[in-house]
Amino acid sequence: MNIYIAAKYPFLRDAKEFVRREGVSTEEILHDPLYQRARDMGMQRVNDAIERGIVGNYVTADETDALMTIFSYPVARMIVASIGSDFLRGRYALAEAKRAYSSLTGEDDEFVLGVAKEFGINATDGLKIYFTDYLKNAPTWSDKWKLVNMPLKGGWIGLKKVELARLVQESLREKIYNELIDLRPPPNIKKVFAEDVNRIKNMMQRKEMERKVEIGKASISKFPPCMRQLLAAAQSGVNIPHVGRFALVSFLHSAGMDTEEILRLFSKSPDYNEERSRYQIEHITGKISGTEYKAPGCSSIKTWGLCPVEKMDDICRKVSHPLTYYRYKWRGKK
Amino acid sequence: MNDFLRKAFQSYYLESRICFPERFSRREFAFIFWGGKQMVRHVSFKRRDELLAVLRRRVPMHAYYSSAYYEKPDAPTMMEKKWMGADLIFDLDADHLPGAEKMSYEEMLFEVKKELQKLLSFLMDDFGFEEKNMGVYFSGGRGYHCHVRHKEVLHLGSQERREIVDYITGRGLDAKDIFRERVVETKRYGERLVPVKRLEMPQPDEPGWRGRISRAIIETVREVKESSNGIEKLMSYGISRNRAEKIIEGLSEERMKRIEEGMLDQSPEIRRFFLKSAVDEVAVSLSTGKPDEPVTADVKRLIRLPGSLHGKTGLRVQEVKIDEINEFDPLEHAVVFGEDAVKINLTKPFKIKMKGESFNLDPGEVEVPEYLAVFLVGRKIAEVK
Repeated sequence: MNIYIAAKYPFLRDAKEFVRREGVSTEEILHDPLYQRARDMGMQRVNDAIERGIVGNYVTADETDALMTIFSYPVARMIVASIGSDFLRGRYALAEAKRAYSSLTGEDDEFVLGVAKEFGINATDGLKIYFTDYLKNAPTWSDKWKLVNMPLKGGWIGLKKVELARLVQESLREKIYNELIDLRPPPNIKKVFAEDVNRIKNMMQRKEMERKVEIGKASISKFPPCMRQLLAAAQSGVNIPHVGRFALVSFLHSAGMDTEEILRLFSKSPDYNEERSRYQIEHITGKISGTEYKAPGCSSIKTWGLCPVEKMDDICRKVSHPLTYYRYKWRGKK
Repeated sequence: MNDFLRKAFQSYYLESRICFPERFSRREFAFIFWGGKQMVRHVSFKRRDELLAVLRRRVPMHAYYSSAYYEKPDAPTMMEKKWMGADLIFDLDADHLPGAEKMSYEEMLFEVKKELQKLLSFLMDDFGFEEKNMGVYFSGGRGYHCHVRHKEVLHLGSQERREIVDYITGRGLDAKDIFRERVVETKRYGERLVPVKRLEMPQPDEPGWRGRISRAIIETVREVKESSNGIEKLMSYGISRNRAEKIIEGLSEERMKRIEEGMLDQSPEIRRFFLKSAVDEVAVSLSTGKPDEPVTADVKRLIRLPGSLHGKTGLRVQEVKIDEINEFDPLEHAVVFGEDAVKINLTKPFKIKMKGESFNLDPGEVEVPEYLAVFLVGRKIAEVK
């Protein structure tokens, strides 16, 4: 693998080999003036992820540039790991994966096949993939990617190059995210990037705070028992059924929250996947589907088995819609 | 009453072999015993003769085993059981077919077999499973079970299994993408070139749902065309007379031909009709509806033990070879009891053909062969004198 390719795909085995062969210690990368550029670019990767949701394509005019770009990747990972925010881990992993996808779409079939193989996605030379591999990696929560819409024959699905690249994106996102959870950054990383780490930490905390103000204890306490229960389940990562997610999102949306705010509520969940959650939320709130779904009433909620009958209170018995409950409580407080 | 059935079941289990599932000692077994209201669960067996002993001595009304296999199949909770994998199970039950409440038992069995054929076509043609990875069983009740044991599916999670179910039932099919716009020619108007676009239907030999839809549309068009009364034909698909007349009006000879060539650029009305009827024709009706029901996506459901008897019919959960499905008649091939005459008291008139013999019974005291007596007592419409 040449160094320019390694710079484009620093997460590949061969790129990691480059880093190893250079024989540079973590200490040197973090402190040696020689690697200032790698440190700056590492910070840039993280900022890109936060601000734009995708890591940028950095110009690599010569081998030094390329080498710095390669080193900037482990630097960025150390920064993210040291901040210790799950929201940021998810967002950064997605931003790197998206950049990889956009680069991969410009490569030839053979290259994409090789990268896919490294991620355990086995496709044939004709870009055919076995359906179980497809199901494990495809974003089937999006209608377009549902198995029912794929050309399945004899267990195999013929993909286009961009589609295979998209599967790599998903697999890469998951891999980076999992690695970030396990990564123990060296303690002095916080000193080196003190200012930035603090800035980002504050930003993350501010977002947390904003969330608490918007939908803090005061207003959550105004939610009906069913929604409180669903929200608690979503935040602790308990798997809630599809109808439950639908009921909760449409309720939160009707209660005046936008996609970003709902996303942050869900970001607590251990299996949080920003892209999937965003898609689902925007589907329900009508941004994608064009249909803005109404929040379901008590009768539907009961039919779906989401009504915690033992927690019903006096207001529950008076109303027939969770939103009526919520508004009733608002009025009651005045 | 239970005594009669219990004795009959016992005599069956004493001399019959049942089918032991693969990874036998890793499975959970469950039983419902005569008179017992609750299911006895979390049972496992190290050796096969231990299961036989339960069947022969305790004689269950219903016997089940888990589609999943576990490290500790007899542990009381799922956490402690430690899931290792699960067969993929499809459950076809006549209950779920439209109009089932108006059908006789035999009609239900006939209709559900058609669904089975569709299911197998999906599993074999689209998913590429072979007979050696699958088992098809008559459920002993009103349907069929299909078990897929291909090693690649054993570790699929619930979400992935749901995708397979959605494929087979056509849920989430992107209808907008079935007909694609294509430029067929360009016309010249003076200086201007104007592309002529047509909506193109998928080709019959395309893989996946697109090919299936295409074949079903062509089939329906032929049926409508060849039928002497096209309007009636359309109405049999549940279309009002008014709409049917409109559709037929639109189906000129030239249009028919174009459809068969893959151009379905007719009115949206016609397109909607053909697409909908094609999807209905292709999709399989699976048990996915009611919330408390075991479904395919469940990775830890219980399924009837092949070779055991269904407590409400006395029919055997019978394996059916795939190439013998057409000839398979549950009311002949899943009947295990003999011809000895039994006196019963029938509570309502009943008509059925079993083991090749037609019965047309009036309420009251009658003498019937043992196999029919078991069936009627099991269904609670007769008692043994």
